[in-house]
Amino acid sequence: MSLLTNLIIASVIIGFAGYEIYKVAQKSKKGKCAACDYKCEAKMMAERAKRQNG
Amino acid sequence: MTTVALMGNPNTGKTTLFNQLTDSYAYVGNWTGVTVEKKMGSIKHTKIVVVDLPGIYSLNPITKDESVAINYLLENDTDIILNVTNANQLKRNLLLSIELLEFGKPVIIALNMIDDLKRTGVYYDIQTLEKRLGCIVKTTNARNHDGIEQLRDKLKNSPVDEFPTANLKLDYPKEIKKELNLATTKLVKNYQVSEKFATWLTIQFMNKNKIVRQFASHNNFKPLLEKADLFDKEKFEEKIFQTRLNFIEETLTSARENVSSSSNIQMTSKIDKVVTNPILGLPIFVAIFYLMFKLSFDWIGTPLSDQLNAFLSGPISNYSNTFLKSIGAMPFLRSLIVDGIIAGVGGVLTFIPQIMVLFACISILEDSGYMARAALVTDRVMQAIGLNGKAFIPLIIGFGCNVTGIMAARTIEQPKERLITTLISPFMSCSARLPIYSLFVAAFFPKNQALIVLSIYFLGIIVALAMAKFYQLIFHVKENTVFIVELPQYHLPRFDIIWRGTWDKSKGFVRKAGTIIFAGTVLIWLLSNFGPSGFVTNIDKSFSAMLGQFLLPLFVPIGITSWEAISALFTGILAKEVISSSMMVLFHTTSQTTLIATFGQLFTPISAYALLVFILLYVPCFATIGTIKSETGSTKWAVYSVFSSILIAYALSFVIFQVGSLFM
Repeated sequence: MSLLTNLIIASVIIGFAGYEIYKVAQKSKKGKCAACDYKCEAKMMAERAKRQNG
Repeated sequence: MTTVALMGNPNTGKTTLFNQLTDSYAYVGNWTGVTVEKKMGSIKHTKIVVVDLPGIYSLNPITKDESVAINYLLENDTDIILNVTNANQLKRNLLLSIELLEFGKPVIIALNMIDDLKRTGVYYDIQTLEKRLGCIVKTTNARNHDGIEQLRDKLKNSPVDEFPTANLKLDYPKEIKKELNLATTKLVKNYQVSEKFATWLTIQFMNKNKIVRQFASHNNFKPLLEKADLFDKEKFEEKIFQTRLNFIEETLTSARENVSSSSNIQMTSKIDKVVTNPILGLPIFVAIFYLMFKLSFDWIGTPLSDQLNAFLSGPISNYSNTFLKSIGAMPFLRSLIVDGIIAGVGGVLTFIPQIMVLFACISILEDSGYMARAALVTDRVMQAIGLNGKAFIPLIIGFGCNVTGIMAARTIEQPKERLITTLISPFMSCSARLPIYSLFVAAFFPKNQALIVLSIYFLGIIVALAMAKFYQLIFHVKENTVFIVELPQYHLPRFDIIWRGTWDKSKGFVRKAGTIIFAGTVLIWLLSNFGPSGFVTNIDKSFSAMLGQFLLPLFVPIGITSWEAISALFTGILAKEVISSSMMVLFHTTSQTTLIATFGQLFTPISAYALLVFILLYVPCFATIGTIKSETGSTKWAVYSVFSSILIAYALSFVIFQVGSLFM
């Protein structure tokens, strides 16, 4: 594996981690249900209904 | 598309019914206040959307979450109302049913928990009920799916216009009828509202419904606004209530049939005599929690967890390392994957057995009906310090996750009491803190793991209550609201409900491992492998060491002498589980056994306990801070919560360490 591949893989991992931290910070600003870390059935259904109606 | 609004009193099994009707799953609990926002789902292969609304006792909202239901009726054009009632408590439940029937939309009343009713030796003649109430009445037992199929078929196979429109007209006193006619006629004539809606609106207006009165002002309904003083002066509200109550009593008397014995009710009252006993109640509550921790730390959880850990730190780590070497991965990438991700994320995942056992225990307590008793028992303690037992429900939910705990505080009517509950919620030990407790109790208190964890949990409760008392004095909360909790009958917990409850809660933990715990682990790996001079091989020259060592003098008085622990505490703000994964990364190990041995050199039992107390109380996680901000509507309270909790955590762990050191 070349140095470039090593660097690319490491960057992808670090990039994903950075994105997750950014996402948590954004979600936390919303508070309430939106801050919950997993998409429960109810949340998915609410989103679907929102899409259907809106 | 047909919309079915699911409405009813709290704790009537609406959410269970919703899950079964829609083949979906939303959080279910055997106590008041579980549904705080509306949930939507559709019945499979149909265009029928079911909306689960928070439980209410009447359409006149007292709390913030109760207004969701009435606002839904006013703002949405619902086709059918499915009124879920507790067949056992029909007298009270029908008060809401009358208001819904007066609304004029087709109503189906589901007499839920019908088996519980039969066990009390009473049954109602359905035809009589249908005739008196003028709507369809179905019996269900959502817990074991009885009657659900019939109810679903009814909804699926009958077009909306085939449902009889509710047409309940109660025999209100003459003066009310006269005013009702006057107002309705004017509303219909001058404001183009339908007669049914006008009638309902007027009755609700007479009944001092806050939301309806706002709605009337907003639309400038003069026939109502001009008469408000008269309605109030003549005490129409009381008269309406009395008429409804009389109607319900007559209806139930004419429909009542007596059936067999009442063994369940006898059993419930026998159990309650013991578990809600003024003297025994509290020790039993503590004992149940102790048993819960025994199961998760000593008997089931930890042994399973140890095996998972051995598998992860042995074969998985070694194999990954060899594999990465063989494909030519460079040392820094191997370190990131093996010492970072596998050690950190994997390390946290090995705690799943403990967490699942604890969640299963909580689900059993919720489903059996004990939680409502726990609230009742603690109410006595809360009363003694001038607090309301209702605050205990959000607090106990906070054991799972502080965010949901704070959301549940919406069920508290008084704004000041609600704010107090929101502020003290983060002191409840959420499940994310379990992994770090588990590591430390295994290292320092192997023989008393459950007892130490129990003490940490109760310390959280004590701090929360003490702070609540403090806030009460500061905010001058004088009036004491009455705490009313419905005590459901006990029933044997059902396996599928327990499993779903446990899985639903554990799923969140697994998901977090793939997102925020992963991110936190990579962050701490970066901080411990990079320093001002770039990539470092000696961790003592890394950013994390610099940060930890800079703050070390502040932490020495509370017994923390390792900079690694301080750096780990910082990442804990992302999510509390990250503290454990950070420790794994910072101490360069994938094995809990090695980590435990390292702890032995850095901490004493007393400094370890002080650290656990610090972790219990210091800064809430990001999500909790965000929720405090959104629920209180102010950044000020969120910032206050962060700083006050650091102060309390520091002060308490300081006292524990200093006083403890004198004796040890």
